[in-house]
Amino acid sequence: MRALRLAVRQRAARIALAVLGVVVLLMITGEWLAPYDPLHQDTTAILAGPSAEHWLGTDYVGRDVLSRLLAGSRLSVIAAAEAVGLGLLLGVLPGLASVYVGRVFEWLSLRVMDGLMALPFIIFAIAVAALLGNGLHQAMFAVGVLMAPSFYRVTRAAAIGLRQAQYVEAATLFGATRWRVVRTHVWQKVLPTVVVTTATAMAGALLVVSSLTFLGIGVQPPAPTWGGMLASDLGYLTQRPFGPVAPALLIIVTVAALNALADAMTVDPATTQEAPDALRR
Amino acid sequence: MLFVDDLHLSTTGGTELVHGVSFALAPGEAIGLVGESGSGKTLTCRAILGVPPPGVTVSGGTIRLAGDDVAHYSRRQWDRARGPRIAAVFQDPASYLNPSLTVGRQLGEVLRVKNGLHRRVAKARAVELLASMGLHRPEHVHDQYPYELSGGMLQRVLIAIAVSGDPDLLIADEATTALDVTVQAEVLNLIAALRAERRLSLLLVSHDLAVVAQLCDHVVVLRDGRVVESGPTRQVLDDPADPYTRALVADHREYGLDRLVAR
Amino acid sequence: MTAALEADGVEVRLGRRATTPILHGVDLTARAGEIVGLIGETGSGKTTLARAVVGLAPLHAGAVRVDGTPVSGLRGAELRRFRRGGRVQYVFQDPLRSLDPDVTVLDSVAEGLAVRGEGRAADRRARAVAALEQVGLDPALGDRLPGRLSGGQRQRVTIARALAVDPRVLLLDEPVSALDAANRNHVLRLLDRLRREREVAIVLITHDLGSLAGIADRIVVLYRGRVVEEGPAARVLLEPADPYTQRLIASVPSIDGPRPIYARSTR
Repeated sequence: MRALRLAVRQRAARIALAVLGVVVLLMITGEWLAPYDPLHQDTTAILAGPSAEHWLGTDYVGRDVLSRLLAGSRLSVIAAAEAVGLGLLLGVLPGLASVYVGRVFEWLSLRVMDGLMALPFIIFAIAVAALLGNGLHQAMFAVGVLMAPSFYRVTRAAAIGLRQAQYVEAATLFGATRWRVVRTHVWQKVLPTVVVTTATAMAGALLVVSSLTFLGIGVQPPAPTWGGMLASDLGYLTQRPFGPVAPALLIIVTVAALNALADAMTVDPATTQEAPDALRR
Repeated sequence: MLFVDDLHLSTTGGTELVHGVSFALAPGEAIGLVGESGSGKTLTCRAILGVPPPGVTVSGGTIRLAGDDVAHYSRRQWDRARGPRIAAVFQDPASYLNPSLTVGRQLGEVLRVKNGLHRRVAKARAVELLASMGLHRPEHVHDQYPYELSGGMLQRVLIAIAVSGDPDLLIADEATTALDVTVQAEVLNLIAALRAERRLSLLLVSHDLAVVAQLCDHVVVLRDGRVVESGPTRQVLDDPADPYTRALVADHREYGLDRLVAR
Repeated sequence: MTAALEADGVEVRLGRRATTPILHGVDLTARAGEIVGLIGETGSGKTTLARAVVGLAPLHAGAVRVDGTPVSGLRGAELRRFRRGGRVQYVFQDPLRSLDPDVTVLDSVAEGLAVRGEGRAADRRARAVAALEQVGLDPALGDRLPGRLSGGQRQRVTIARALAVDPRVLLLDEPVSALDAANRNHVLRLLDRLRREREVAIVLITHDLGSLAGIADRIVVLYRGRVVEEGPAARVLLEPADPYTQRLIASVPSIDGPRPIYARSTR
């Protein structure tokens, strides 16, 4: 976890981690923190502005916006995590395998990933929803599948440079299996890039989840999500112009924090390495 | 020619690495700087060249090059001094050349910028220089890229670049360490020949006492940033006064051809 | 008595269609307790020969036997089983590149034992510590990463890694050419001891003939993928028959002052 240790030394990364910590906390406790039932419709206060009872106002059927945001954080984040998790699985393992299993698998996996990369996210997700039924898991399956190529590519790129590494040859000369080589020598070199890609992908997934719910794919109303709220609030801009600000801000801050963390972890280790080693060479 | 007096080098953190090194190099003379890794020989060299490693500065003493104190030269003053007065070659020639330009072009550029030669004249002069480095078919070498040349050929090209400004002093820091023995012999010969032809002063840094014994009139022995012994090469190597030098020489003699021939 | 290592007619070709010959049928043998110096310049094929012997470079023709058993035909699980035996060890030329920068010294040294799956982790650590001590390294260095060691220390770590599995045959690629005299002596003395006390057959690959004097029993001179001279060390060093060997010997600088070859102009 050198990448993460390295990142923590930077202020931007510490702030990003703090923000993400809060998001995770919201995800876990949001439902209990919510002052109202996120589904309760208060017909006496429709599209109300911020007040003492409703800090962030109410939406078009009189539901408390703050409660919906808090309660919606779990579904939004879990959905994104689900997609990224699938992408990791379908990307990292074939990525490693493409270097170590054999030429046939290498060729096949490369072609499949090329094919997946050509598909546009949203349209593919819509198609999958049409085929498998419209639901959060179906949509996230689609997004996850399309995220696989980016994980595949970074893993493969990191691993392929190590195929000829002398310490890998040395391990082979001891009779190590490919699996052992991957475990002891390759995995540590690949992990930092995978972690960085995960952070970036998480940000991307949050946006895609939001966009999809905005289009009505994935999470079905009335269950609250950030993207869904953004979508519905946009419909009432004339009555409640500040409406989209709260959900949009949450999405933006979370995505920005993830991107900042990813950036901090990609800081060139060569420039931050301990000096004695660099001087000795 | 070169006069180093009580040179101290420290990191910006205040740790002193070289504690008062002194030696003098007369015109046309060759001095060998020896010592184990970490003894400060490369640091001293880089300070003399005005390129100490990042974070290391001259914290005391003087370095005089032909009478001028260069320890506190500005960048512009250095630009004028490098080439006509001082030049250097190092262990890894490939890393000092641009891999995407032909070696002739890189040599020609130095000739144009430093010596103000016209493009066409520079090319002719470059080929001439390459020929005088003992490179076969210099016109052909001129148009080759660094990766097409062997380590020994690259080092010759680097030496050509170094002497293109007709310097008074050449610093060779482990310049033959990475070369095959036969190629090392040729490159050392080349340096010896250049010394004779151009009245070049030479500061040779090496961990190999035998290499120093081939070329140098004087030896300076460094240990932990201090001079432990200096004097004429034969005296220092045959009859070392300092226990450290004695150990270096004994270590050197323990294996090797000399021992076999002596038996 | 069969030699610990026998390589017969080793032919290696590289390139896409095996078009570039690197070695043209080279023989190399080393008996138990013998140190064989394999000498040649850059591009002579000496490293390729070592890599072919341990199976890192494909043999186009020829065979390799260890203690009389053919090993060059082994593949897959059989090859892995033979390698886990640790009978033949190869020490790479560049210790910095042959040690994983993210693996501690002790784990690197214990790797051969770990692959073998022999004993418990604590026993393996103890044997790795013993190997470090054998090469004269402070076991306290075991927790460091290779980047935090000096060049000489790293070189010894790679030797310790090979010794930990108790090899019968040890091939070392330029183990001393980057070291200063004190470190070089240390490594050479260690090899001398290994040969005497453990009867290890040692192939010492180098471009520097000088470092072979006083330690090698036999010297094999490789030039452009062919053996041009072979014989007892003293004979090869004192009365070289081949012109190339003669030039090699004349090129070794002497601490006793300029040798004739250094007085001659290259032009």
